[in-house]
Amino acid sequence: MAVERMKITSIIGKLTDLDKVSRLIVINGSTHILNAISELNSNNLNLSVPQKHMQILQELVNIKPYISGRDFSGGEGIIRLFEDLFNLKLKICEDYLCVDDEYENTMAELRKVHEDVRHISEDMAERAANIEKLQQYLNNVSYLRNTDLRLEEINNLNFMKFRLLMLSNENFKKLKLNIENVPAIIFQAAVFNGNTVIASITPKSLEEEAERIFISLNYKELELPQEFSGTIEDVINQINAKSSNEKRQVEELRESVAEMSRTYSDTVFKAYTLLELEKKAEKLKQETALGSSMFFVFGFVPESEVEGVRIELKQYFGESIIFIADDVEDKRLGNAPPTKMKNISLFKPFESLISMYGMPSYGEKDPTPFFALSYMLMFGAMFGDMGQGLIILLAGLLISYRTANKSFGGILTRLGVSSMIFGALYGSIFGSEELIGALLIRPMANINTMLIGAIVLGIILITISYMYSLLNHYSSGNIEEGLFGREGLTGFLFFLTLVFGALGKATGELTVGIGLPIGIMVVLLLIMVFKQPLAGMLTGRRLYEDSPGDYYIEAGFGVIETILSVASNIISFIRVGAFALNHVGLYIAFAAMAEMLNSKTAGIMVLIIGNIFIIGLEGLIVFIQSLRLEYYELFSKYYSGYGVEYKPVGLFGKGDSGNEMV
Amino acid sequence: MGNITRFAAVNTKIKSMEGELLKDEDYTLLLGLESVTEVAGYLKERTAYSEVLAEVDTGTIHRGMLENLIKQKMVKSIDRIIHYFTGDYKSFVKTLYAKYEIEELKILARAVYNGKDAAAFRNNVFVGKHSRIDTSKIYEAKYIRDIIYALQGSEFYKFLIPLVDGDFSENPFRFEMVMDMSYYSILQNKWSKLEKRDIKALEQAQGIIADLLNIQWIYRGIKFYRLSPEELLNYTINIGYRMDFNMLKTLCYSKSLEEFNRIVKSTRYGFMLKHDGTTDIYMERRMERYICFELKSMMKNNALSIISAFAFIIFLQFEVKDIISIIEAIRYKVPADQAYKYIVRKI
Repeated sequence: MAVERMKITSIIGKLTDLDKVSRLIVINGSTHILNAISELNSNNLNLSVPQKHMQILQELVNIKPYISGRDFSGGEGIIRLFEDLFNLKLKICEDYLCVDDEYENTMAELRKVHEDVRHISEDMAERAANIEKLQQYLNNVSYLRNTDLRLEEINNLNFMKFRLLMLSNENFKKLKLNIENVPAIIFQAAVFNGNTVIASITPKSLEEEAERIFISLNYKELELPQEFSGTIEDVINQINAKSSNEKRQVEELRESVAEMSRTYSDTVFKAYTLLELEKKAEKLKQETALGSSMFFVFGFVPESEVEGVRIELKQYFGESIIFIADDVEDKRLGNAPPTKMKNISLFKPFESLISMYGMPSYGEKDPTPFFALSYMLMFGAMFGDMGQGLIILLAGLLISYRTANKSFGGILTRLGVSSMIFGALYGSIFGSEELIGALLIRPMANINTMLIGAIVLGIILITISYMYSLLNHYSSGNIEEGLFGREGLTGFLFFLTLVFGALGKATGELTVGIGLPIGIMVVLLLIMVFKQPLAGMLTGRRLYEDSPGDYYIEAGFGVIETILSVASNIISFIRVGAFALNHVGLYIAFAAMAEMLNSKTAGIMVLIIGNIFIIGLEGLIVFIQSLRLEYYELFSKYYSGYGVEYKPVGLFGKGDSGNEMV
Repeated sequence: MGNITRFAAVNTKIKSMEGELLKDEDYTLLLGLESVTEVAGYLKERTAYSEVLAEVDTGTIHRGMLENLIKQKMVKSIDRIIHYFTGDYKSFVKTLYAKYEIEELKILARAVYNGKDAAAFRNNVFVGKHSRIDTSKIYEAKYIRDIIYALQGSEFYKFLIPLVDGDFSENPFRFEMVMDMSYYSILQNKWSKLEKRDIKALEQAQGIIADLLNIQWIYRGIKFYRLSPEELLNYTINIGYRMDFNMLKTLCYSKSLEEFNRIVKSTRYGFMLKHDGTTDIYMERRMERYICFELKSMMKNNALSIISAFAFIIFLQFEVKDIISIIEAIRYKVPADQAYKYIVRKI
């Protein structure tokens, strides 16, 4: 339930094994690859027995990047062709994954199949083109439907030329306005979509001149078929007959293809799987560094997976591959380790809201559990209703099962449950407070309690945030911020003093006078102002990193901000109570409207509309307000979000949190 | 939406960008320079073109590259204006890119037709700006039909289909004419969705430009091309402001150049033709100066309207054209006291 520990792994082997090793890493799918050249430039190789690895050190003298020359478009084209022809849904089949090079063989096999299938697919394509052409003829001929022309007559005029043309309306207008100069007789046959279809009859001797004029009007010829004859109705029937004949032929071909598909689809799947594997492996190879006879691959692997990788490499390559897994805590330069969040399924969907703000950096506490709990708590408190919560729950389930967006569905499901629990506590079903009794409290009847409760909740949540912050500073060993900073121990004490001082003043239990807490706060503020020199004195390093002048100006403003933000952060949480009231208030408004209507059905309609409105609008607002409280009031205390996401190279997108959350 | 909310911000932005246009003294100084690299240096140090020249070593720059960078500045300015618009207005202003894209595509098609390598045009800045197509296909074109197929999915395509339909042979002239005509079609379609007031203003502004282009077209058609009057007429732009279809028809069917001259002289566009033999050389410049003049007066009379953006983009176009003319004049050693005659800006 935290950020998963990473190891940095180095794999060194003979160039001849590079292809196989990259395939193995891709199939294994747990290595977050680093660029080997920049890695070698910024960090020293950590080799255990230098004498044994003398040769490797020599290799380091002359490293170069891998240059890919492979083009997969040919193979991809063939696979896509089969995908269309067999109507397959391509997917990666784990059974076909293989470290050895089988891609070329499989592709050769597939090409052979392609030879067999080719005449069928070409035949099909030709017939499809025929059908399309017939369809066009049908379309063109039907413009002449209302005439008693016979097709062979207009096709075989001796002195005249008959054509069907399509022009844009603008160009047709030009033609019309200049018709006295055009050597043709024009009939308007149809107008659609901004285009005009015309029939033109030109004497053959003037054909060329007419053609030039039509070209300047950017015409499109609507061809008439030569091979049919008879009245237009007859022709249409003939075309339809021919077209359905072609279609029948295509159907027959399709059946024979279906037969082939049963025999060959496995080969297609295999080829597709191997192609994807090759493409990923090729990508990986681009991040490697090559010596004259060795290659180097670097990457981060989660601690739990390291042994798996080690064993697999050993199985395939024995001693010829060197595999080193180092702790990342060692001083290293360059890329920070990536973050892989690991949480129980209750909290998992909320990771997406966290990464929207930023991934936790490696070594930082994963805020997901606290975030998830506090988010559900706040949402439920603001939107407590058994009925509306149920709708949100159902919507969440629907989204998780019906769409690819598992995490959003998961969030809605959990928020719905939380809303239902608070609904029971508030005694509210679809806004109505008359159906069941409240287990805990009626918000509208106890306005002050609600608001004060919200503040108390805020104080608790902020306190927990300080705890997180202290832990984070402790683990990173940051004395300046951890002990004396605004989000550190001093800031926390300031916060506590303010809270208890105000509490004591309000209840009258503060017996020592207001001066004491104020005094303490002033001292704490001064400590914050001098945090850098104080930390410098403790660690013995320099007192100021920049010029003292700049430092104190910044620190001075920091004091003002601290005072403002501590107070405003607490007060901000009033909205949790306010929205809980608001929620009831909105329903009361709709209920009042429903009561004003005389008819009962109309009243019920208003209540239904009101509920939809409340779930849509109020639900959205509460969703955003809770997010705001998390991001602004709480994250600013303890969370940096500068991390890099763990993205291992692999075929199934392991590590991206998509599968098991609902 | 009211005119104030729609135009107040963008027109203020345009005003400030107008301040960045070259001054008359910039023109004088540029005309006096000796080499392309000096022009580049001047533009980089002293003008708003520093935006696109900042990263460039002006000491080694060559002409083609400088021209493309100058056009790049135009793209940046237009993009800035587009940013201020929404909905139909945004899509109208975006359409103004089509004109420049068409220009580049026409040159490209002509080059491809003459057997040149399309890849040499890879640095063109406007190709793809309006059509939004994958430009790599354009630059792989071996024939004009390849360019047409590459434009599939763009607004130009439906105009170009007749060129590849059936057994038409490659014909750059047809490609050019169809592309030009498509622009006015697309433009009208886009502006018809604007508010009445803006449509009226555009009909005037674009109409005057169309009048000038039509006269120039018919003049050249009669004098140089062997086209029939019907064809001439069919290739005219149908959105004229002062010249209606009948007027154009009379012009197209004039029996001789003298008759044509006489008719044009009787219109407001008589200034395009001079009897001193300078007509052919200066016709384009005269048209462009007249467009500037008309647009400026329209901007005054239509303060909060689309005209500001429309006119500003044309001013940008003229400035870019002028700079390119100046560069060419310097490159081909035309003396400054001659060169100034060929630029739009009157110094």
